Amino acid sequence: MSTETGRESRRSGALVSVMRWMENLSDTQYAYLLLVPVFVLLGVVALYPLLRTFELSLFALSADFSSTTFVGAGNYVELFTGGKNRYLPGGTTFLPEGFGLGALLNSALVVTIIFAVTSVLFETLIGLGQALILDQDFYGRRWIRAAIIIPWAVPVVIQGIIFFLMFNSNVGFLTPPLADLGLLAPTNTLNDTASATFIIIVADIWKTSAFMALLILAGLQSIDRGLYDVAKVAGATKWQQFKLITFPLILPTIGVAVLFRSVQAMRVYGIIDTVSSCTVVPSLSCMVVATFTTREGTSAAIAFVTAAIIGIVVMGLIVWQGEDAI
Amino acid sequence: MATPTDTQEQSSDGPLQRWTQSAIQNPDKVYQALFYAAMVFFLVTTLFPFYWLVVLAVTPEGNLLSGSFLPTVNLFGVSGTFPLPVPKGFNPGAFVTVFEQVPFHLYMLNSFALAVTTTVIVLFVASLAGYVFGRLRFPGRALLMLGILAISYFPPAAFVIPLFQAFAGNAPITIPFTSIPLFTPPRLLNTPGSMVLPFSALFMPLSIFILTTFYGQIPDGLEDAARVEGTTRLGALFRVIMPLSAPGVATAAVLTFIAVYNEYFFSSIMATSPEAAKWSPIVGGILSYQTQYTTQFNLMAAASIVGVLPVVILVIVAQERIVSGLTSGALKE
Amino acid sequence: MARVRLEHVTKRYDDQGDVVTAVDDMNLDIDHGEFICFVGPSGCGKSTTMETIAGLTIPTEGEIYIGDREVTNLPPKDRGIAMVFQNIALFPHMDVYDNISFGLRLRDYPQDEIDRRVERAADIVQLEGMLNRMPEEMSGGQRQRVAIARAIVREPDVFLMDEPLANLDAKLKVHMRTELQRLHKELDTTIIYVTHDQEEAMTLSDRIAVLDSGQLQQIDPPLTCYNEPDNLFVAGFIGSPSMNFVEGTITENALETPNFSLEFNPSSIDGVGVGDDVTLGIRPEDIYPGELKSEVPDPSGMITATTDILEPMGDEIFAYLLLGDGETSMSQELATNDQLLMSIDPDSDLEEDDEIGVVIDRRNVHLFDSATGEAIVHDLIPYEAEGTASSSEVESDD
Repeated sequence: MSTETGRESRRSGALVSVMRWMENLSDTQYAYLLLVPVFVLLGVVALYPLLRTFELSLFALSADFSSTTFVGAGNYVELFTGGKNRYLPGGTTFLPEGFGLGALLNSALVVTIIFAVTSVLFETLIGLGQALILDQDFYGRRWIRAAIIIPWAVPVVIQGIIFFLMFNSNVGFLTPPLADLGLLAPTNTLNDTASATFIIIVADIWKTSAFMALLILAGLQSIDRGLYDVAKVAGATKWQQFKLITFPLILPTIGVAVLFRSVQAMRVYGIIDTVSSCTVVPSLSCMVVATFTTREGTSAAIAFVTAAIIGIVVMGLIVWQGEDAI
Repeated sequence: MATPTDTQEQSSDGPLQRWTQSAIQNPDKVYQALFYAAMVFFLVTTLFPFYWLVVLAVTPEGNLLSGSFLPTVNLFGVSGTFPLPVPKGFNPGAFVTVFEQVPFHLYMLNSFALAVTTTVIVLFVASLAGYVFGRLRFPGRALLMLGILAISYFPPAAFVIPLFQAFAGNAPITIPFTSIPLFTPPRLLNTPGSMVLPFSALFMPLSIFILTTFYGQIPDGLEDAARVEGTTRLGALFRVIMPLSAPGVATAAVLTFIAVYNEYFFSSIMATSPEAAKWSPIVGGILSYQTQYTTQFNLMAAASIVGVLPVVILVIVAQERIVSGLTSGALKE
Repeated sequence: MARVRLEHVTKRYDDQGDVVTAVDDMNLDIDHGEFICFVGPSGCGKSTTMETIAGLTIPTEGEIYIGDREVTNLPPKDRGIAMVFQNIALFPHMDVYDNISFGLRLRDYPQDEIDRRVERAADIVQLEGMLNRMPEEMSGGQRQRVAIARAIVREPDVFLMDEPLANLDAKLKVHMRTELQRLHKELDTTIIYVTHDQEEAMTLSDRIAVLDSGQLQQIDPPLTCYNEPDNLFVAGFIGSPSMNFVEGTITENALETPNFSLEFNPSSIDGVGVGDDVTLGIRPEDIYPGELKSEVPDPSGMITATTDILEPMGDEIFAYLLLGDGETSMSQELATNDQLLMSIDPDSDLEEDDEIGVVIDRRNVHLFDSATGEAIVHDLIPYEAEGTASSSEVESDD
């Protein structure tokens, strides 16, 4: 013992006493101490900006651009009544100014929702298909799996460039055949709102289906294989096995995956910025970025509305899925 | 069951009918065929865009705008369009030019530096949090985890305005809803700090959930043994729990690295101009091709191929870790 | 010198609003070089008590001393202790050498000193030549030896062992038990040993500390705990199979139970009064078949019973006897008044459902206060022989 204490004292006294103080904290005190870095980081980079964004959204720039005045919910009211649309880039609007396709696709809110719903729907279907394939045992599965995951790991900017290059009016070889089918505008495709929205949705499905596939695959692999033996003995066909065993058992997993992806899809920005532009395909995040240096009150209000919509989506999905979602 | 005569009769039919016949007798064959058809379909759709990049990158610049990438082929007198794009000529020079036109390697180095720094910070902070959430029981635990989860659901757009203002370093930070100044932050725009900070906060929750799962699985006895042998609680975390959770730590590291490398939003905003010297990552590098060299599509494609290679290699090497991380972390959330 | 003292040690947990007292005002004084076993059923607080000594848990109240130092708030690493864990807890990512030397390396011992100590420890637990193996390549017994070697290289003042043999198979357990005794003789260090297995406690320890509900029930040498248990709990816990308990009432000249009476003179024994409700405790080996009555020093009157189940163990037979009308349930409860377990000679030709008479050795029965559970007396001296009365009441430490 004496040797051990002797060695201990060689270390600096202050450090030893700090260590000792830490060791004697109760579990609760220790837990909160260790969480300090997380609190600091999330406090500085998430919580503070969030509160600050909300504060900014309550102020409006004065007419001579020299000061800001408190307007309460004014920015939000203007946002929803169309008063803010003049600050948005390229004649885009927040809420649609009519119910024609052109008016709808000119609205940041509608475009964001269309993008989120369509891309998540197709990603779920394709991801389910991919997961069912990866769940089988076959030679070379490792490589197929890697190939299917790779798009998920591609940087957004490169994903954007790929689709930009596929549909670009100069080299984009895919535009003429798809234009013949009536899916895309034959010229100036990436500056056509409907065409660009379509391409961006396809680009997102290409990149993110793999993510869905991995989440669903996890659910598939946790199913007890013995259940299938029982079903086979009972004479169930493959389709019945899927309908009666696989699908109900992975439904909670799919719920979580949909929740996760919907939240991400609502943030869409980078792919729009690379493939087309925010004036052609307006999304909520696009509007925030486009206005935040000039009209910070407007920008903050849009940002906060985006956060609120995501909050509503999350709550909705949690209520739908129950506790499983968390 | 088919009698010998039946078989004889059928064998005189065409191959398609034969296959159909046997498929009816053995439905598994149909599933097999469907399975391989679906597999090929998914492989083609996932990998085709990369093939297109290669086609563009090796096509000489002069040939880019002339003619179609879909050649017309004449087969037995019937002419039609070949359904797959092929390079118009072959010139791999784009892979060299891509580093000369703009310093693309510097953008990539920036991306690496940002990704590595963020990963180190995230691993350290998330390890502490993972230890706390995975191994300690204390009041408020569930609520705090829910709070961290909630923050990860907020869109980056909800953070960007105040962060941009703060990183510009023009005015002092005030306590929200008051005008009480706290301090004037240093100017961080165009430095790694303005990106590493938001990245760390943005990607930390996933790592916290992954590490919580892994650290929680280490038996209490090992931690007690380490402490009796002479470590502190923190010492036990770094000497015993972390090494034993190496797969989990690797998973969190790989996912964080890929996430930072792929990030667009803050990368494009916090580096105010796409210059490598101003810490702009590959986002800036690629965009400068798109905005400055608007017709050199072969360079855009070559830059994309070079930029995507690191993550492709990472996915092939670490796919097990990625799969387990997404399943253990994301699903626990 | 490493004497270990616990003074009023109490540990309370807050379990979702409910306060759980795991250790309740524990006082212990353990001498240098003593081998002490904490025994008790699961949840009795023995492991928590050990954790407070180790420093893995800080007590809510009370002080702990190791040697001359108060260590109550010291972290485990500064207490001069080493510990062997129930799940063995070898670091799976280190080989045997690294596991054994872990604590020494943390303390920056010089390499030659580490080598010397590891070699000696490996020698003591007979692990020579296995230093480069990984834990997963070893058998349960070998891993246990590594864990012990990891404890002894540190040359601690106190060894703490938390059910170290619990996960070993029965044969290995007995073998390791003797090795632990040899180790204790060789090292001359204080050992505190937690077990739920009273047989392990009986064979290993100098003194046994019996715990229940977080409280110390008795701390005495094994045979004292066996022969003179302080209360019903200790009586029931120590000894296998358990002591029989029969409830009864004291009368003028006997103890009356529902099925038999035991004559004695209550006035010759302190603490017993006519009309008291008491519990009689009889160990299975203190019940004899009627035909051996003449060989029993102070036999009771003949008690009639029916044999129910016989369990031949080889060196003895456990016979479950039904008292009274023999129509009682199959219940195995300790205090069922209608059932007795006796141990008989393996050569006996007794069969199931035989009607037999048995006698009880009145010198080896225990009386407990039914209300408090406290022991009153450990033999009932017949009124003819008052002269030898009081010796049993004197607590003897040796």
